[in-house]
Amino acid sequence: MELTLNHYLILSTILFCIGLIGVMRRKNLLMLFFATEILLNAVNVGMAAISHYRGDYTGQMFAFFIIAIAASEVAVGLGLLVVWYKRTGKIDLDQMTSMRG
Amino acid sequence: MELYLYTALFSPLVGSLIAGLFGASRKTSFTGLLTSGLLLTSFISSVILLTYVMAGHTVHVEMMTWIATGDLYIPFGFVVDQVSVTMMMVVTTVSTVVHIYSIGYMSHDKGFNRFFSYLSAFVFSMMVLVMSDNFLGLFIGWEGVGLCSWLLIGFWYHKESATWAANEAFIMNRIADLAMLIGIFMIYWNLGSLQYDVVFAHISILPMPVITWIGIFLFIGAMGKSAQFPLHTWLADAMEGPTPVSALIHAATMVTAGVYLVVRANPIYSEIPDVGNAIAALGAFVAMFAATMALVNRDMKRIIAYSTLSQLGYMFVAAGLGAYWVALFHLMAHAFFKALLFLGAGNVMHAMHDELDPFKMGGLKTSMKWTWILMTLASVALAGIYPLAGFFSKDLILEVAFVEQHYILYSVLLITAGMTAFYSFRLVALIFHGDKRHLEHGIHPHEAYTFMLYAMAPLAILAVISGMVFKTPYYLMVTELLPAVQYHIHNHTTFWIMTIGTQLFVILAIAYAYKKYAKAVKVDKKVESGFFYQLLYNQYYIPKIYDEVFSKPYLQLSKLAWKEIDLKIVDAIVDGIANTIYRTGEKTHTMQNGNLSSMLRWMVIGLVVLLVLAVAFTAGYNAVNLQAM
Amino acid sequence: MQEHILSILIFFPALAAMLGFVVHKDGAKAYGITVAGIEFFLSLWLWHIYDPMVSGMQFMESAPLVSAFGINYLVGIDGISLFIIILATFFTLIGILSLTETRRVKDMIITLLFLEMTMVGVFAALDAIVFYVFWELSLVPMLYIIGAWGGPLRIYASVKFFLYTFTGSLIMLVGMLFMAYFYYQATGQWSFSILEWYRLILPANFQMWLFAAFFMGFAIKVPMFPFHTWLPYAHGQAPTIGSVILAAILLKMGTYAFVRFSLPLFPDAAVAFMFPIAILAIIMIIYAAMVAYAQEDIKQVVAYSSISHMGVIILGTFAMNVEGISGSVFLMIAHGVVSGALFLLVGVIYDRRHTKLMSEFGGLASVMPRYATIFGIMMMASVGLPLTINFVGEFLSLLGFYKQSHSYTLVAGTAIIVGAIYMLSAYKKAFFGPVTKEENKHLKDVNRTELLGLIPLVVIAIWLGVYPKPVLEPINNSVEAIVQLMHDKAQTPEAQKRIPNLATTGTMNSVSEAH
Repeated sequence: MELTLNHYLILSTILFCIGLIGVMRRKNLLMLFFATEILLNAVNVGMAAISHYRGDYTGQMFAFFIIAIAASEVAVGLGLLVVWYKRTGKIDLDQMTSMRG
Repeated sequence: MELYLYTALFSPLVGSLIAGLFGASRKTSFTGLLTSGLLLTSFISSVILLTYVMAGHTVHVEMMTWIATGDLYIPFGFVVDQVSVTMMMVVTTVSTVVHIYSIGYMSHDKGFNRFFSYLSAFVFSMMVLVMSDNFLGLFIGWEGVGLCSWLLIGFWYHKESATWAANEAFIMNRIADLAMLIGIFMIYWNLGSLQYDVVFAHISILPMPVITWIGIFLFIGAMGKSAQFPLHTWLADAMEGPTPVSALIHAATMVTAGVYLVVRANPIYSEIPDVGNAIAALGAFVAMFAATMALVNRDMKRIIAYSTLSQLGYMFVAAGLGAYWVALFHLMAHAFFKALLFLGAGNVMHAMHDELDPFKMGGLKTSMKWTWILMTLASVALAGIYPLAGFFSKDLILEVAFVEQHYILYSVLLITAGMTAFYSFRLVALIFHGDKRHLEHGIHPHEAYTFMLYAMAPLAILAVISGMVFKTPYYLMVTELLPAVQYHIHNHTTFWIMTIGTQLFVILAIAYAYKKYAKAVKVDKKVESGFFYQLLYNQYYIPKIYDEVFSKPYLQLSKLAWKEIDLKIVDAIVDGIANTIYRTGEKTHTMQNGNLSSMLRWMVIGLVVLLVLAVAFTAGYNAVNLQAM
Repeated sequence: MQEHILSILIFFPALAAMLGFVVHKDGAKAYGITVAGIEFFLSLWLWHIYDPMVSGMQFMESAPLVSAFGINYLVGIDGISLFIIILATFFTLIGILSLTETRRVKDMIITLLFLEMTMVGVFAALDAIVFYVFWELSLVPMLYIIGAWGGPLRIYASVKFFLYTFTGSLIMLVGMLFMAYFYYQATGQWSFSILEWYRLILPANFQMWLFAAFFMGFAIKVPMFPFHTWLPYAHGQAPTIGSVILAAILLKMGTYAFVRFSLPLFPDAAVAFMFPIAILAIIMIIYAAMVAYAQEDIKQVVAYSSISHMGVIILGTFAMNVEGISGSVFLMIAHGVVSGALFLLVGVIYDRRHTKLMSEFGGLASVMPRYATIFGIMMMASVGLPLTINFVGEFLSLLGFYKQSHSYTLVAGTAIIVGAIYMLSAYKKAFFGPVTKEENKHLKDVNRTELLGLIPLVVIAIWLGVYPKPVLEPINNSVEAIVQLMHDKAQTPEAQKRIPNLATTGTMNSVSEAH
């Protein structure tokens, strides 16, 4: 059996769903970051696969961009997380309600 | 001649404006004298113009452009021809007399200056009305006299009844004015001009239905101003105004504007004899209808007002039957004796401290000899006794009806002539003869100022001679413009029988009135409580019906429109939409509870919804496109 | 200076408003009068140098704003906008002259000057975006005037006014954007210039949609039934000066925009919608007149009378012929003068008695004769008496529409009846009868400041009624150009039939050439 584009897309979809469920269910901020990373990487897989399939490198370029941005995002996010933890001693999402509308 | 034209036209305006400047100041006789003097100037100019026109000329000037847009071109143009000069003479004569008379009549009134300002403004409007050379210019005067009538009926504005009557008159006239505007619109869009000469020259090329409608709409306009049924109720109520106003506006000039319009538009009405017959029929109906109401009324001024209404009916009969010069002739004669009658009534009112019920008067001929003579003279003229004015003008209308073989109209008018004589002399008898009933009310009457009596003298003279002396020269002059039809009954025997018969009939009616009212007034309770008496006394219940059918429902409907429709439906819907949006916000703002995980969940839900929408739209788009292919 | 006159007219008041912040508050009114006076004389000068024989745009100025999308600062005037601009500067001057407000006068003056900029801007703009910007900006000072100086319900009234008109103009904005997009599709270039848009002939079904979008914005502003309910609240709560400007100028934006946008851009749609709009206009005329008759507050009578008169303006606009449109443009000016004066007059009595209920008055004619006289003249003008300014406009509007439909005009003509009913009965309630209330017995008649504002209005109301030519002639020339444009653009047979072709006159008017 050969790996086709569909397989990659299915993988990407599965990863995306896992990430989505993680985003929705997890209450720990750190875990939320992991879920976000999974989401982004699901998209990356899809981009790279389609890019290879079509012979157009734009997709892969975008994937690299996303990796870079995801890295910086995690860096900033983790920094904020550490500050938050130092202040409150918790990283539970349900406690963060200062943005109540 | 143009100078005289402008003098005749604008002197009253100048007087009005100057008097108006003193409107709010204290009484100065100066305003009265000035306006009267300017009116006299206007009168003299009119006389000069009359001699010029009698010599066979006409004057036509275009002062300046008024409205010009698109193809519409309306100037301020004035024409003095045979018809308008007749009207000018009537207007300036009566108004000069009334002005001088009013100096005495209004001498104790606080609004003396204001009164003369309004009165002169009225004369100006009336002059514009009769002198204009196009329909819209006529409409200026038409509305202008309406305004002045409003001002003057409501002159004593502290009286509720006066202001009510003023508004009624204005609004009822407006109803008719709308029809007149529509008539003007029709003329413009069919002929492209509103100038009399252009319109009359080309009216015959229009299709019959169009001319008919133009004629009908213009006549409805005339009905309002001349208070023809069913727009007649305002005239009787208009008697709330000062009596000189009633004499000038509501007897001699303004109310005859409708007749003038029909006479002026005679080329239109000549094309449509059916409409003419309808006008004549309505005129005859009004003549009788108004006369019946005058028979029983107990208000001196209202009796004279109904008499005016009745005489306007006569004029419309003549105009409707195509005897335009006869209509105009009766208009002129009527203006003189009716104004005289009103001014006499003014003297009586002054003497009786504004008492209007003739049943509370009586025996005034001793203390007010001259007024008695003048009013009797006017009544004789009105009744149409030879050789006074009414005989020549009113009986001519009877002859017209007879010659044109409208025997029903003829009989109606004949009976009405009898009624006219009866109610006129009922009034004279009640006021001047019999017991001095007023003494019970502690009133000691006195004659009016001498100069007021002198002021009335010209009218008295005209009421006597205008029929006899003016008929032939008038006929020769005016038939240059109006259709020259002589109404002669060819059979001599018939003619004499008719004339003498009519005279006898009228004299009998007068005698009956004297017999019934000149001695002692016996109030017959049985007659008074009868159905017919009550019907007539309450003016056929028409004012009441109008009140119940139009005024009150309109007010209620207006209140409904405001309180129910505007506030509770239209505005409530608007507020409802706003409130719905607001409440949606109130309800949904719990979404923003600040909890990150629930917000993330909402985000996912939003994403899913968007995805579904995107897929659905793409699918739908493709489906449509495939179909199209 | 002549070539930049319009820019000066637009931005001079705004600049002066900015400088106004540094003026001491005691001198604010004098400052305001000076600025408004200069502005008014500038606008008069504009009239002087305006060539009435030219039908097209004059004093055009252009400067690119966003050239990629064809958005330019493009201004110019023709006979239609000229007089509304003069009216705007005139009423700002009159408003400031007769200002009796004592609270925060300086803020009021600055707001008014800013408002003046937006008003002149709207009527001078020839670029849709510039037009839209001024259109929306005009809401802000008005919102502030009602909200800061208004009556007890001022917040509700001002928010309603703002949101209602804003909603409408957003729909209009969508229409404008789509129009520009369509222009791009047709020509390959972006343009928001109205004059460029005029050249575009749109398919009839596009016209319908665009017409509807523009209609929403304009109809709410006019305000047409059933979008009128913001107006009574705004008038009821606004201070006198606010009502005067609102009635005299701001409402005219809607009707002006109909003439400027809807008719020449979408002639087929305008003809197709003629009768539905005429029905709305007739409802406006009669219904608003009835509601006015039922009012107890004299200011509301005048407010509803505005709606009624705007109905006649709309009717004249959609008459689609020169007589009707000229009449409606003239009536815009006439109604501006008359309703502005009536609101000023209501303000006079409100300053004295702090009530507007007619039941509180009665017999004012004997206490305040001069006031009653001026009110009476203006009332008669409002009723449309010949030789007053309103008559010319009303007559021409109705005359114009008569060409399109006889029966509709007959019904709409009841305006002259119902108008008389509510006006006369209101006048009777307030001015006639005996003086019943003790407080009314010693009211002071109009003073010199008030006369300063009122006398010019009386003069204009009569002058333009007797001699409308100086105003009517330029209007007529510009309207003829618009009607011809509409005729040339018309595609549907219905529209071609209804819009007269001026190039070949004389088919119908063969008779009139005889004289």
